[in-house]
Amino acid sequence: MRIYEKVIKKPWPYWVGGILLALLNISLLLATGSPWSITTGLLYWAAAIMERLGFRPADWYYFNNSYEYGLKAGQGFLFNTYTVLNIAIIIGALIAVLWAKEFKWKRVKNIKQFLFALGGGIIMGYGTRLSFGCNIGAYFSAIPSFSLHGWVFAAFMFVGAWIGSKILFKYIL
Amino acid sequence: MAEYKLDCLYEACPIPLLKALKQLEKMAIGEVLILHTDHNCSIKNVVEWTKKQGHYIDYVEISEGEWEIYIEKAK
Amino acid sequence: MTSSRIEELKRQRQTELKKRGNQLPYAIAATAAALVIYFALVKYNMSFSYYWIIGILLGITMQRSRFCFSASFRDPIMVGSTSLLKAIIMALFISSIGFFIIQYRAYLMNPSHQLKQIPGQLHPMGIHTAIGAILFGIGMVIAGGCASGVLVRIGEGYIMQVMVLIGFLIGTTIGARHFEFWDRILISKAPIVYLPHHIGYFPALLLQLLLLVILYFIADWYDKKNNIMSTM
Repeated sequence: MRIYEKVIKKPWPYWVGGILLALLNISLLLATGSPWSITTGLLYWAAAIMERLGFRPADWYYFNNSYEYGLKAGQGFLFNTYTVLNIAIIIGALIAVLWAKEFKWKRVKNIKQFLFALGGGIIMGYGTRLSFGCNIGAYFSAIPSFSLHGWVFAAFMFVGAWIGSKILFKYIL
Repeated sequence: MAEYKLDCLYEACPIPLLKALKQLEKMAIGEVLILHTDHNCSIKNVVEWTKKQGHYIDYVEISEGEWEIYIEKAK
Repeated sequence: MTSSRIEELKRQRQTELKKRGNQLPYAIAATAAALVIYFALVKYNMSFSYYWIIGILLGITMQRSRFCFSASFRDPIMVGSTSLLKAIIMALFISSIGFFIIQYRAYLMNPSHQLKQIPGQLHPMGIHTAIGAILFGIGMVIAGGCASGVLVRIGEGYIMQVMVLIGFLIGTTIGARHFEFWDRILISKAPIVYLPHHIGYFPALLLQLLLLVILYFIADWYDKKNNIMSTM
């Protein structure tokens, strides 16, 4: 019972999480040759929706340039390694929260929360295309890859977070 | 001694913490704040922050994924 | 740290609690389903199976430790707390060593390698990185979660984060459509700066580890300094 309390019920210390995430990221790079990244997979989902709507995202410049963001052979916008990883993260969180008996559907509180969620998502999504990833791909995996863009991303994300905090204090709280 | 209730249902980070912080500033020493939340992170970051400030704190899970956090202002 | 008054309130509250439903059957079902998928992938698609199992573990770790990348950047600014940032610096320290070993091994096996063959996230660095990072920083604070946090919170049952995800898909699509423009004016002129190619492998590792240690102590000092109630 005490182990249940400690491991499954009580939140772990942050540093435990940090160490485990680092080890998992190294394992992923070792096993697959590419480190943890999320947002390319989310763009693929968006592209899959665009395909259903009758557009042809596979022809877009974004997927046809020297940065190699096109699909790998045998993969589709919906079925690819990014999707597997992203869905697995959602399922992993679900499993953890169910074992702790803490799952609860949480509805949207009001229209303001909805608008900020949507707006924040749009700004974030746009930003990731410029910076080649989010704070996973362009930061958590980029800095250990010894690519300097990870450090630049980190520094300017602080600037963004500072502006965001100002907005939050002024309009949301 | 007065008790204050704060409803933070359906709010995400960092709103519960900031609301608690604001309310605590208005309160007198010895008064208790009861924070009602369903945000899984609150029982971690609100607790951590309050301890750092030196207030008394504990929480009860009142139903699945819903907590009441009790904070007694200590200084 | 608790007080007699809080104990009294807790006791009072616990007596009047309604009987709770049980989520364990769902937990067992979800775990079983995840394992079945894993073994199916091991059989039919080995590469996918790695992504699946590591993804599951990443999700569990993030949920259990309440890890939040956006909070690590937001909390120092808002409430002066850096415990998450310190955890991330620690994680970067460990992964730098791990990534280094993997990259160095790749280099030894193929000394005349090109940038594209290096395992890791190597991308052009320039003004576009800064613009993207600022936009991302603003977005993650007002939306209440970054990309990884959104995925984890959807697993926790947040409908609001589904809205963030929908917003993200819209934004990232617009961004991809505008990519040609940004590529023409900024990205195509920006270099990929891979530190080991400029200062050597081991100096790059040492420099980075040193920098992370320094940042850790700065974060620690900042946390202690902000031990007073502060509001903006």
